[in-house]
Amino acid sequence: MATLDLQNITKTFGAAKVLHGIDLAIRDKEFVVFVGPSGCGKSTLLRIIAGLDEASSGRIVIGGQDVSHAAPVDRGISMVFQSYALYPHLSVYENIAFPLRVAGLPEAEVKAKVGRAADILQLTEKLQLKPGQLSGGQRQRVAIGRSIVRNPRVFLFDEPLSNLDAALRGDMRVELSQLHRDLSATMVYVTHDQVEAMTMAHRIVVLNKGRVEQFGSPMELYHHPATRFVATFIGQPNMNLVPATVLGSDAAGLAVEFDGGHRVVLPVEPGNAKPGDRVEVGLRPENLRQGEGLSLRLRVLERLGGVAIVHGQSADGGRICASLAGDAAVTEGETIGLSFNPADAHVFDAEGRVMRRRQAPALAA
Amino acid sequence: MAGNTESNGAGPVKVARRGLSEGAFAWLLVAPAMAFIAVIVAWPLLETVRLSFTNADLGGEEWVGLANYEKLLGSAKFFEIILRTFWWMFLSVSLKLVLGLVGATLLNAAIPGRALFRVLIMPPWVIPVAIGCIGWLWLYNGYFGLISGVAMRTGLTDGPFEILAYKTSAFYAAIVTDVWVGTPMVSLFFLAAMQGVNRDLYEAAWVDGAGRWYRFRRITLPQIMPVMVSMALLSAIWTFNSFEIIWILTQGGPRGGTTTMIVDTYKTAIGNFKFGEGAARAVVIVVLLAVFSLIYLRVLSAVNKRYGVK
Repeated sequence: MATLDLQNITKTFGAAKVLHGIDLAIRDKEFVVFVGPSGCGKSTLLRIIAGLDEASSGRIVIGGQDVSHAAPVDRGISMVFQSYALYPHLSVYENIAFPLRVAGLPEAEVKAKVGRAADILQLTEKLQLKPGQLSGGQRQRVAIGRSIVRNPRVFLFDEPLSNLDAALRGDMRVELSQLHRDLSATMVYVTHDQVEAMTMAHRIVVLNKGRVEQFGSPMELYHHPATRFVATFIGQPNMNLVPATVLGSDAAGLAVEFDGGHRVVLPVEPGNAKPGDRVEVGLRPENLRQGEGLSLRLRVLERLGGVAIVHGQSADGGRICASLAGDAAVTEGETIGLSFNPADAHVFDAEGRVMRRRQAPALAA
Repeated sequence: MAGNTESNGAGPVKVARRGLSEGAFAWLLVAPAMAFIAVIVAWPLLETVRLSFTNADLGGEEWVGLANYEKLLGSAKFFEIILRTFWWMFLSVSLKLVLGLVGATLLNAAIPGRALFRVLIMPPWVIPVAIGCIGWLWLYNGYFGLISGVAMRTGLTDGPFEILAYKTSAFYAAIVTDVWVGTPMVSLFFLAAMQGVNRDLYEAAWVDGAGRWYRFRRITLPQIMPVMVSMALLSAIWTFNSFEIIWILTQGGPRGGTTTMIVDTYKTAIGNFKFGEGAARAVVIVVLLAVFSLIYLRVLSAVNKRYGVK
C-alpha cells in the first residue's frame, strides 16, 4: 500500500484543456473519491493515474516513486472499469487469474490467489461460470477479484457501480467499504454520484471543469463547502440558493434582506461585503422547517415516509425545496412559511465564494 | 393509457379475422416466399435429381437408373477431380483466412491514413470478377506479362514462361487470383468483428501487463472466433463452388489441371451436352455442400458456446 501524489497534472486534447494543474496528496490506506459532473475530468484524471492516458505535464508519484512515464503494470495499480471489462470467453476463474497468467506465475500460486480472492468476494461457487451467466453484482465482484489478486499498491475504480440498479448499488457500497477495511488499501474511486462519495470516502475531491473545487472529508464538504459549486453539488436534495441583499454587518454577522422582504442576521464572516451587495443564501432542505420566515407556494409534495420533500416557489419567484417531517400537514397548492436557524445558513458572494461560517460544527479532518 | 392497459390484459393478439385461424394466417404470410423458393430453388433441384437418372442430351432422354452414378463413382478421373477440388478449397480458404486476419489486424491498428487503406483493399472485391481476371491473364501471360517479364529479367527463367500453360503453375496461379478476389471480404468481416470488441478489455489487459501479442492471442482471437469460424465455412462453400475465376483464366485446363467439380459439371452438362451425367455431378456437389452446411452449423454452435456468445 502506498501514498499517491499528483503534482500539477494538466491534460489537453487538441485545443481543449481538460485538466488545469491538479495537485493532490492522497495518504496511505486512504479511500478518496473523485466526484463531479460529466465532463469535469475525473475519469481522465483516473486514467492518467492508471497510465492509460499520459498527462500533458505534471508528475505522478506512487509510494515515493515517480511513475509519470511508467507503463500501467509497473505503477503498482489495478483498475476496475465501469463496464467491468470481463473477458466473456473466459470463466470467472480465468478472468480473476488473468493478471497472474500474464505475469507467468506457477499454477499452484495462481490457484491459491484466485481461491483467496474468491473467498473474500464470495465467488467460490461461481468460479467455473462464464461472466454472461452472472448477475451485475457478481460481475462487479469478479472485476474486483481481478484487481485484488495483483496485490496493487493503489486500487482505482472508474464508476464501478453505475451499471447496477439502485438496490444493488446500496449493497455494493457497503461491500466496497468493507473490502477497503479488510484490505487496508489505498483506493481512488471515481463517481458522479455524490451519495457514493459521501458514504464511502475518507476524503472527497470535488472536480469542476478540470479544476479541484475542494478536497476534504465528506462532512467538511457538507458543512464548509469552499464554493457555491461544492455547496450545491454535495447534499441531497440540493442546497437552495435564495437571493438576498446585504443590509450591513456587525459583530453578530451579516444582516441581509431576502427579496421577499424577510430580514435576518447570519453568523458568517462578512469579508468585504457592503450594504447593497447582492448575495446568495444557501439553505439545505433538511435545515428548513415550517414557521415564520420565507414563504413557499407549494407546487409538488413528495412523501417518502420518514420525510416529506416539498418543492415550490418563494416570494421572489425562485424555486425552493424543503425536507419536512414525513406527516407534515401540508397540501399541494397552499402557501406555507419556512424558518431556519441562521447558524445553518451559507452565504455566497457574487463570485460564488463562500463567507466562512462562525457556528458550524467543528471538524476532524 | 387506458387503451394500452386493455390490450395488454387481453392476452395473445388476435389475428384470426375473417375466419382464418392463427396457423393459417401465418402460412398465408410466408406463402409468397414459399412459392418463390419452390419455383427458384426446389423445382430446379428436383429436376436436376430427376435428370441425373436419365441419359438426357440434345437428342432426348431415357431413364437409365443409377447408371450415371455408377459411371461417375467408378471413374478414377472423377476422384482425381474431387481431390483437386478439396486441395483447391483448402489452400485458397487457408490463404484467405490468414491474409484476411493479417489485413484486418493492420487495418484495425491505429495508424495514420487508416481510412484510406480501408478503401484501398476494396477494389479486388468491388470490381467485376471478369475484369479482375482479365488483369490477371495479362500478368500471367508469358510474352507480355509482368510476372514472366520480371522472372526473365532477374534470371529466374531463361525465356518467356507461360504460367497458365502448365498444369501445376496454372493451378496455383488460379489459387492466387481466387485469394486476391476473396481476401478483402474476409478482411472486412474480421475488421468489423475486431471493432466490435470492447476496448475496455484491451485496456484492462494492458493495465495487467499483457503485451500486444498476448492481447491479440488471449482477447482478439477468442473474441472474433465465431466470425472466423463463420467465414471459414462460408468461404469454404464459396471457394468449392468458385467457377468464373477458373473458367476465365483456364477453362479448367491445361489438360484438366484446374478442373474442379463445379467446372467439371459445367463442361459435362453445358460443354458436352450430357445433361444427365452433368446432373449426377451436380447432385454429388449438393450432397457434399449439405454435409458442409451441417458441419458449419454444428461447429458454429459449439464455438458460440465455447466463446460465450449467446
